[in-house]
Amino acid sequence: MSDAIVLTHVSKTFRKSTIRREYTTLKSELVRWLRRQKRPELPTSSIHALRDVSLAVPRGKTFGLVGRNGSGKSTLLKLVTGIYGPTSGTVEVHGRISALLELGAGFHPDFSGRENIHVNGIILGMSRKEIRARADEIIEFSELGDFIDEPVRTYSSGMYARLAFAVATHVDPEILIIDEILSVGDEHFSRKSTAKMEEFRRAGKTILLVTHDLGTLQRRCDLAAWLDAGELKASGDPVEVVNAYRNAVAEAEVAAVEHPANAVREPLAVQPRSGPPAEKGRRWGNFRSELGPVVLRGTDGPQHVFKADEPFRLEIGYEHFELPAGAGSLELTLRTEDGTTVWVTGVELSEAEPRGTLSLELPRLGLGDGNYLVDLLLSAERGQDVRDVQRGLHGFAVRAKAQSGLIAPVHHWTGPVSETAD
Amino acid sequence: MIRNLQELWQYRALLWNLTQRELKARYRGSALGFLWTFVNPLLLMAVYALVFGIIQKNNIPFYTYFVFVGLLPWIWFSTSVGSGASTISDRRDLLTKVRFPAQVLPATVVATNLINFLLSLPLMVALGAVFGVWPSVYALAFPLVLFAQLVFTLAVTFIVSALNVRFRDLQHIVQNVLTLWFFVTPVLYIPNSVPEVARRLYLIVNPMAVIINSYHGIFYEHRWPHWRGLTFVTLASLVLLALAARVFEDRREEFAELV
Repeated sequence: MSDAIVLTHVSKTFRKSTIRREYTTLKSELVRWLRRQKRPELPTSSIHALRDVSLAVPRGKTFGLVGRNGSGKSTLLKLVTGIYGPTSGTVEVHGRISALLELGAGFHPDFSGRENIHVNGIILGMSRKEIRARADEIIEFSELGDFIDEPVRTYSSGMYARLAFAVATHVDPEILIIDEILSVGDEHFSRKSTAKMEEFRRAGKTILLVTHDLGTLQRRCDLAAWLDAGELKASGDPVEVVNAYRNAVAEAEVAAVEHPANAVREPLAVQPRSGPPAEKGRRWGNFRSELGPVVLRGTDGPQHVFKADEPFRLEIGYEHFELPAGAGSLELTLRTEDGTTVWVTGVELSEAEPRGTLSLELPRLGLGDGNYLVDLLLSAERGQDVRDVQRGLHGFAVRAKAQSGLIAPVHHWTGPVSETAD
Repeated sequence: MIRNLQELWQYRALLWNLTQRELKARYRGSALGFLWTFVNPLLLMAVYALVFGIIQKNNIPFYTYFVFVGLLPWIWFSTSVGSGASTISDRRDLLTKVRFPAQVLPATVVATNLINFLLSLPLMVALGAVFGVWPSVYALAFPLVLFAQLVFTLAVTFIVSALNVRFRDLQHIVQNVLTLWFFVTPVLYIPNSVPEVARRLYLIVNPMAVIINSYHGIFYEHRWPHWRGLTFVTLASLVLLALAARVFEDRREEFAELV
């Protein structure tokens, strides 16, 4: 058998009452029984945590799971671990599992670190003999020193996590399941835990991990899968999976900001132009003129995710354009999500039709990887007459594989460079 | 049932460790520490001895000792069932994060209280000595009575802990039922004082009556237990345990999701 974990058409459904923690009371159950009603089998209010997921983790490989919060990653890990049973489908696991779903399961605050190693180790599946043999190693790895004999409640959260991680990684499993915990502890410890993971990998153990750190995933995993709303969206080569995932996230983020019509229209108030970066999605002005709709176009028509080399065209619709000649202006600010201004450009407007479209064109976008927001300010009378300000309502993302940083200028390498060099 | 107990055996190290931890944790930080194991039943005994031995005087000889003999196993039973009710529903941290057989949790409660019970036995013997009641050959039946009670307690605790995951009202109901149960069990009195019909009836319905009566027999009255009653209770308890294991297995799926 070359696969350590095999999931075949696995679905998992939670009844909503379970999630909302509405307990059935003895009374309601009795009443139901007396009326001879059957408990509704699968009420409409059920939550599909996983839908028809099939995947296989080959023995000795490191398999990464990505997905947004609530996409079913943890449910999948719990199914593999055996904490949950699948609603339908089968879960096969070949080998001894150690699951790090939560650090320090069963730690008792009043007991010393040393005592907790024993209980925790047994819970994780070690025998007493194994624990005794490895206790010193575990204590050394945790770097707790004399604290090991102090009650766990006196530990800092970092110390707690270190001890827990130390126990968990000394279980010596064939399959290690990790839910987002390599980020615990300080820099030094996180390096140490990464090294420990590498050691597992080299020892030919199977690792199934959930992480939000896409860099880690691409570097350390042999295979990856992307879950979204309980469905398997992609699986296979980590670089490809991560790219697909990032594109989708960018789409979703941009779609979330792209609702200028829904933005609350605030009455014209004194809005300091040099104020702190406005929170997402604000629109204000006297609306004697209005901007919209705003469309972003690339190579393939309207889009939200661009490549660095792509042409970029921004089309801004307008209405009721009654501007005193030469006195109207549109200012466009391009900024990153955290508020760093990338580019500010303005244009003087002439008297025009009451409706129409303004376009800004860049033959090549030339921005680095990241999410960007476009702020628009339409005013007249040298900024005294604020007509329509749209801040944080329009956005797009740039996905540039090989370039990071704010800009991606046209560039050429010369000299002994390989053909494929970017 | 076999599989249920087999798993329990596989995880005996965990059971033992959790039991040790329970015992240590219970009185950690209190001045008397482990002595509370003895002080608690002694105080309870003192209360009953005061009320029914002095205020509401009865004619049972060595009444204080008599109460103590019945009280110790009763405490084992009632504490196990009482705190066993919430033992699964309270351990969210374990059940949703690690895979392990949930029956370890109620078993731990029963084991912890069993050890408390066993540790108090020398105290009981010492108290008997004070009154001039010495252990006799009839004490040899003790393991049999103990076994019957263990099976029965385990069965009840399994059922209560499994059902309480869905029906949280149960843990409160159980407390009140236990109070009633205590008074219909001959801990403080001799079953002779109960009307004949009622006595027969509840000896059948209430296994704890038979069990406590057997303890009184071997430690206090110096006679053998009523073998027929005890055998019946033991067999019935085994059946109940098998049933409890079934209930437990059926409910197990929902533990991780409901706690």
